[in-house]
Amino acid sequence: MPLWANPRVGLVVLLVLLVALFSTIRPAFLDTRLTLTPLQSDISVYLVIGLAQMSVLSLGHMNMAVGRMAATSAFAMGLVHHTLGAGLLVSLFTGLVVGAGLGALAGLIISRTGVNSFVVTLAMDFALVGLITILYTGVVDGVAFPTMPAGMEALRFDTFADYCAGEICGPRIPLVAPFALAAALLTGLLFRWSRVGREILMTGSSPRAAELSGIPTRGRVVQAHALSGLLAALAGFLLAANNGAFSAGIGDGFLLPSFLAPVLGGTLLAGGAVSVLGTVLGATLTQVIYKGLNLLQFQLDRLQLYIGLVLLAALSLDRARHVLAGRREAAP
Amino acid sequence: MKRSPFLRLGIGAALISLVATAGCTRKSDNEAATASTGKGPDQVKVALIPGGAHPYFQPWKTAAADVKTEFKLGDATFNETSGWDQTKQNDVVKSLAAQGYNAFGIFGVAPENINSTFEDLKRQGFPVASLASCPAGDVNKADFCLSTDVEEAAYKATKAAIETIGGKGNLAHLTGNKVDSNTQRRIAGVEKAVGETGGQVKIIQVVTDIDTDLQTAQKAVADLLAAKGSEITAIVNTAYNPAVASAEGVKQAKLPIKVIAIDDDKTILDGIKDGSVAGTVLQNPVGQATVGSYGLMKLAGGCTMADAGVIVDSGSFVVTKANVDSYETDRKAKTAELRQAFDSQYLTCR
Repeated sequence: MPLWANPRVGLVVLLVLLVALFSTIRPAFLDTRLTLTPLQSDISVYLVIGLAQMSVLSLGHMNMAVGRMAATSAFAMGLVHHTLGAGLLVSLFTGLVVGAGLGALAGLIISRTGVNSFVVTLAMDFALVGLITILYTGVVDGVAFPTMPAGMEALRFDTFADYCAGEICGPRIPLVAPFALAAALLTGLLFRWSRVGREILMTGSSPRAAELSGIPTRGRVVQAHALSGLLAALAGFLLAANNGAFSAGIGDGFLLPSFLAPVLGGTLLAGGAVSVLGTVLGATLTQVIYKGLNLLQFQLDRLQLYIGLVLLAALSLDRARHVLAGRREAAP
Repeated sequence: MKRSPFLRLGIGAALISLVATAGCTRKSDNEAATASTGKGPDQVKVALIPGGAHPYFQPWKTAAADVKTEFKLGDATFNETSGWDQTKQNDVVKSLAAQGYNAFGIFGVAPENINSTFEDLKRQGFPVASLASCPAGDVNKADFCLSTDVEEAAYKATKAAIETIGGKGNLAHLTGNKVDSNTQRRIAGVEKAVGETGGQVKIIQVVTDIDTDLQTAQKAVADLLAAKGSEITAIVNTAYNPAVASAEGVKQAKLPIKVIAIDDDKTILDGIKDGSVAGTVLQNPVGQATVGSYGLMKLAGGCTMADAGVIVDSGSFVVTKANVDSYETDRKAKTAELRQAFDSQYLTCR
């Protein structure tokens, strides 16, 4: 495939153009403290939730419960801190285990019953909505935990610029960003280099062919869904850090962005191919658009209209490029 | 896929350049903190930010334009794009700050963790007011909270309902989002008034989560009237959409139910005039926006709060057929009184 037909290149070009456009119209777009640093925090959250969706898109499945898996895991993190006084790492670890467990459960139901992943995870989402409300009212008599583990404040407010070695301080990158980068790198390595990752992709590409080549497809389905749950839990944690509380509302706005980032980045809804780098770019693009339009102070209806239009344009360009590349290859 | 290592390199390079340009100083925090004091009104740019689009906040839009001319502010804007999502609202707030807005009147989407948003703004030296709703719990990290005392308003509404049904009967209470702490306080206010009747009045149904839009509320009211229409003697509404829906629903069903509404939608005011709505409890959105902006302007000008985080009731007014034409006078009087109270009581100016 020629370089220009790579969807990632298109996204980078679009990104550069949009950043140039927004910062010309509103120089405040380049304000480090008020725009760029918060933007990186937002991208971190939406990148991780995009990766969570990407993990099951690799199978050609969907996870409609990403938001609620994040919320349930955030509840678990808050709970171990609230009742047992657990620290940051223990809380985070518990939440990740809960997320992975929920994902694995979804995967197990899908692989055993053969029911469509859309239906299973949608049902799970409904069940978890109710469960979360019951759990929060039961434990804290409200919708958020009043306290957070020590260190969450630092994750929320600090950037590496606050940590200096002698005279040399770090860049203004929020502390949550490395979590997202690590998640992206590890997911990328998994799908590119590990046997499990390749086998998940093969299962997604053709379950029957994979089965016949001796791949334990059921196990791979469970593993991919567990990974999705784990990443959703991490996204919940990062959002809780950004927002300043483990609350029931975490994950409410996760569903659509979770599809947007990987699909913009060239991950196929049909399964069998993923792009971590594309997901990074997709998440960045959507957040840049959102931030830019916000800075231009569009009123509500217009804001939504333009977000829709810009995304539609991005997807159409992508499609056009794809068709052109296909024709070129077909030509003698 | 083959080329992606190069792209990764590209991203890496972009990140490094970002790092290089972002620089690393700790000075900016201090700069911002000192920059907030001693501004003249023309340097103050007020942003009024509701939790999302809702008819209640529409008066804020005109109020923003009015305070800009009345107080000669640098600017005053109204931004309702938060979409009832705390994450989005935080984003809207930061975007406005990046554009030079330096005083914030906010209706927080999530009362449970809005304090962290307030803290964030205060750290950067911006005066902040919590308008139309206070943070949940006992702590308010904004400079002040100017809102309807929702428990008191719900109490007043229920008292009015009990009075119109002659102190005896069955009530239904229709309200908003159950997991919102304000809703819990409204429910408490209704229960308090009912408790005072010593068992003469009973609450037979509390319907929550129907303030999202009018359709949801209309459907809930239709269901309620079909199931229990004959048992209910009065409906107390403590949220906007259910109020409009139950005023219409009861009128259409021709049931002898007394409706106590909230706010002053045209349907409700017409209902009061033709007798299908027994009364309504008004809040003071204009007062919240104007007096809130006034307080913010003073704080930006170097005044401090006498009692940081003080909670001020913006007033609630019971309106029945008797005073339906004159209530605006009362409300304006309350707004003027609030502004005076800020000068004489809540603010300390050098």
